[in-house]
Amino acid sequence: MTAYLIRHYVFTLTVLNRAHNRKKTAVTTKNEAYQPPVSILIPAHNEERVIGRILQGMTKLTYPKDKMQVIVIDDGSTDNTGETAEGYAKPHNYIKIIHRNQREGGKGKASALNTGLKQADGEIVFCFDADYYPQRDIIEKLVAEFTDPKVGAVQGRVTVLNEPQNLVTRLVALERIGGYRVDQQARDSLGLITQFGGTVGGFRRGLLKSLDGWDESTLAEDTDLTFRVYLAGYKIRYVNDAECYEEAVENWRDYWKQRYRWAKGHMQCAFKHSLKVLKSSNLRLREKLDGLLLLNVYFMPILVLLSWIVGVLLFFSHPPQWFSIFWALIPISLYSFVGNFAPFFEVGVGVYLDGRTRAYWLIPLLIFTFLYNIPICTKALADLFISKILGKNCNHWDKTVHSGNGNSYIIN
Amino acid sequence: MLKENMSRIRHSILGFFAGVIVTYIIILSFYCVNNEAALMLMVFDFLFVSLVFPLDGTFVKKISLLLIGNVIGLLWNTVFSSFAYVAACYFGEFLNILYILLNPLLNLIWVVSFWSISLSVLASSKTAR
Repeated sequence: MTAYLIRHYVFTLTVLNRAHNRKKTAVTTKNEAYQPPVSILIPAHNEERVIGRILQGMTKLTYPKDKMQVIVIDDGSTDNTGETAEGYAKPHNYIKIIHRNQREGGKGKASALNTGLKQADGEIVFCFDADYYPQRDIIEKLVAEFTDPKVGAVQGRVTVLNEPQNLVTRLVALERIGGYRVDQQARDSLGLITQFGGTVGGFRRGLLKSLDGWDESTLAEDTDLTFRVYLAGYKIRYVNDAECYEEAVENWRDYWKQRYRWAKGHMQCAFKHSLKVLKSSNLRLREKLDGLLLLNVYFMPILVLLSWIVGVLLFFSHPPQWFSIFWALIPISLYSFVGNFAPFFEVGVGVYLDGRTRAYWLIPLLIFTFLYNIPICTKALADLFISKILGKNCNHWDKTVHSGNGNSYIIN
Repeated sequence: MLKENMSRIRHSILGFFAGVIVTYIIILSFYCVNNEAALMLMVFDFLFVSLVFPLDGTFVKKISLLLIGNVIGLLWNTVFSSFAYVAACYFGEFLNILYILLNPLLNLIWVVSFWSISLSVLASSKTAR
């Protein structure tokens, strides 16, 4: 817990210093003239309410259309996702739709992306979720990082589109600010493990092919790919200016489903990659340390729960003097694992740097997401163990439902 | 140049006195309230000085916020420990145990809330600038 707390503290200080230094020095511009052919994969399973929005966003991208290929993977949808996408494909020849029937599709995002990858012919392959809405020049900003041959992948920033909708979306927005504006930015600045978040990111197609695409046997295919890229000797860069807007979950039930999937998938990756990370000769010591902390982050809420239980037991069995000090440190440690696992000071600094003056008032309410994450992660670990013991497949993809309410926040 | 030096000296003096006051508050909380209160104040001060002081806003404003935070922390812990003491006297030892168990979360409430307020105050400086 202390390691995580120190890590977040260092991240926050790094981002603050970076912001301070950027004020002093002129901002260096990346080579935005570099424009290789790109393929954009959009997996969509029953996304009729939002698919039109992202395809509209794709038509408005400023990247040269003759160098762009958009592939929508209609993944066994039972609604009008395919028809809506076809409506966009007709007038725009760079948009292509792959229809998978219900027998082939619905097996999860990784499976859909691999289908899309087979049809992709761009040098760089991007991946966007169907509920996202990109900035017009996002591809230029992201692709510029690939001028460095050591860069295997790139990740843009995720911002919540429907933030004003209700308390849940507002809290998710705060988590995103902590996670991207501070966490990802700091990891990139410090040369640690920048995480590919599953969307708003791109890879070299050659690298993706050599890694056999996305792993369909894990629920966190993004984290899995992140580590496979690093283990292969490549880096992932984070571009804070490349923003994409997502439709966040709107209620606690959907929050549970989404985080449960993330927690379970992340734990699978922790079991799969921890040892490889330690042994890898392609990673520096600090990358190994950060990699291990990143892989095991979803175990922390469970540790917090255990520490409470042990604390109570210790209290009733004649506590020693050091116990009270241990007890007082718990709240700060607890807050290190809130929501997107960003503590209050990290979220606070992120919100400050974004200039979001009114969002500060909600930071104390992150306690709800913290408390909620404890049973989520505990259940994820318990289910993982049970399925291992019983030899059952635990990779059921419980899809997040998107209402399309985010559409009202887009001004055309 | 002279004006700049004068301002630096003024800041140093102000910082020194603020440091003395904060130290007194921590010692006071250690002897008059409990260990946890003192520790929480130390953690709060460390985080506040290292993460809030680099933000925009005048030095005087930041020092004032730090002092107010410490006073609030001391009062908060005094009030809650008094409540716990009285409650334990009236209703039995069980409530005292409950207080000790909930104490970290109770402290969290003032730390995070005050942190948010401080950032709003400093953000107004940023906006004004």
